[in-house]
Amino acid sequence: MQILIEPENQWADIDRASTVLNLLKKLELRPNQAVVIRNGELLTPDRKIDPEDSIVVRKIASRG
Amino acid sequence: MKCPRCKTTAAVALPSHNAGFCPECFKVFFSRQVAKAIKERQLFSKEDKILIALSGGKDSLALARELQLQGYNTAGLHMDLAIPGSSDKARDHVERFCRDFGVDLHVLEMEKEGLPIPVVEKKFNRPVCSLCGRIKRYYFNKFALDHGFNVLATGHNLDDEAARLFSNVMRWDVSHLGSQGPDLPAEQGFVRKVKPLYRLSEFETANYSFLAGIDYCYSPCPYSKGASFTYYKTLLDELEYEQPGRKISFYEGFLNRGRQAFARQDEQQGGKPRPCPGCGYPTTGEICGICRIREIMGSKE
Ligand code: SF4
Ligand SMILES: [Zn+2]
Ligand SMILES: [Zn+2]
Repeated sequence: MQILIEPENQWADIDRASTVLNLLKKLELRPNQAVVIRNGELLTPDRKIDPEDSIVVRKIASRG
Repeated sequence: MKCPRCKTTAAVALPSHNAGFCPECFKVFFSRQVAKAIKERQLFSKEDKILIALSGGKDSLALARELQLQGYNTAGLHMDLAIPGSSDKARDHVERFCRDFGVDLHVLEMEKEGLPIPVVEKKFNRPVCSLCGRIKRYYFNKFALDHGFNVLATGHNLDDEAARLFSNVMRWDVSHLGSQGPDLPAEQGFVRKVKPLYRLSEFETANYSFLAGIDYCYSPCPYSKGASFTYYKTLLDELEYEQPGRKISFYEGFLNRGRQAFARQDEQQGGKPRPCPGCGYPTTGEICGICRIREIMGSKE
């Protein structure tokens, strides 16, 4: 599964994440620390995701 | 997860509100939180002339969009800090946003003011963020006063405010505790300062910006490693995860039951500010912080 992480603009290869929550856990993020976007749509943590999906994880932290 | 209002698929989950909203209902929720903040804290009215500090990030642009939709009299001010690889991008986002949404925009260039941040950074032997913050506060306030705005609004959100409060508490900084809040009244030489997004988390403003079609800038400032509160924000995120709703109750509890006591103490201890002889800005020192920075900037190594 190809995941684009922003703002770094890095691709991460994550296997076997079946839900958004799962994916965020693998990226060591809490659900309110990123927005998860698929085809221009926002996904809540309970949504199922597919290995074919291309997904953007935009980290929130404007820690500056 | 379904939106409780219209039963379609939710787009934004909000554990602290026990709900997940669809895009349209989330925007309604966001609007109501802003309206509630404005009403409960009497931040401003339709009569006021409001200057919004626009950094180009999600919070300030979301604020500008929302106040515009609610029919307030607003204009934006962006400060171009002249930081290579960062300021250009931020300015570009602000200019495009204001063009696309029809927001009046003013831009102040720190290069022209003789205070480009990278030069300030080199000249002073201390973290640049505190100086940068001071410079920004000074110029936002001055611009508002000089151009007939009576309110200055910033995009500080609940995470910013809760982290600042936490940090002030950890140091028992009475003076800062007494003067923290989303509703600082005008004083001699200072315009009224408000933070209408104080009820909304960073997560919520990010979702709002996305859903409102705002193309915000999310590349961080190269100096932001030294920015304050990063660690406190992370701590509070953990707390919020375990106990949803903690951040807002911590902050609102302070506003409603804590702040008064500190304000009173500070009144008894703090010195009265007088106008700076160099520029008229209120200061408790001999000259104000900005005239001091200018003095050092002008001096030899
Ligand atoms: S991170 Fe620091 S230097 Fe950069 S804009 Fe913010 S306060 Fe200024
Ligand atoms: Zn809905
Ligand atoms: Zn001065």
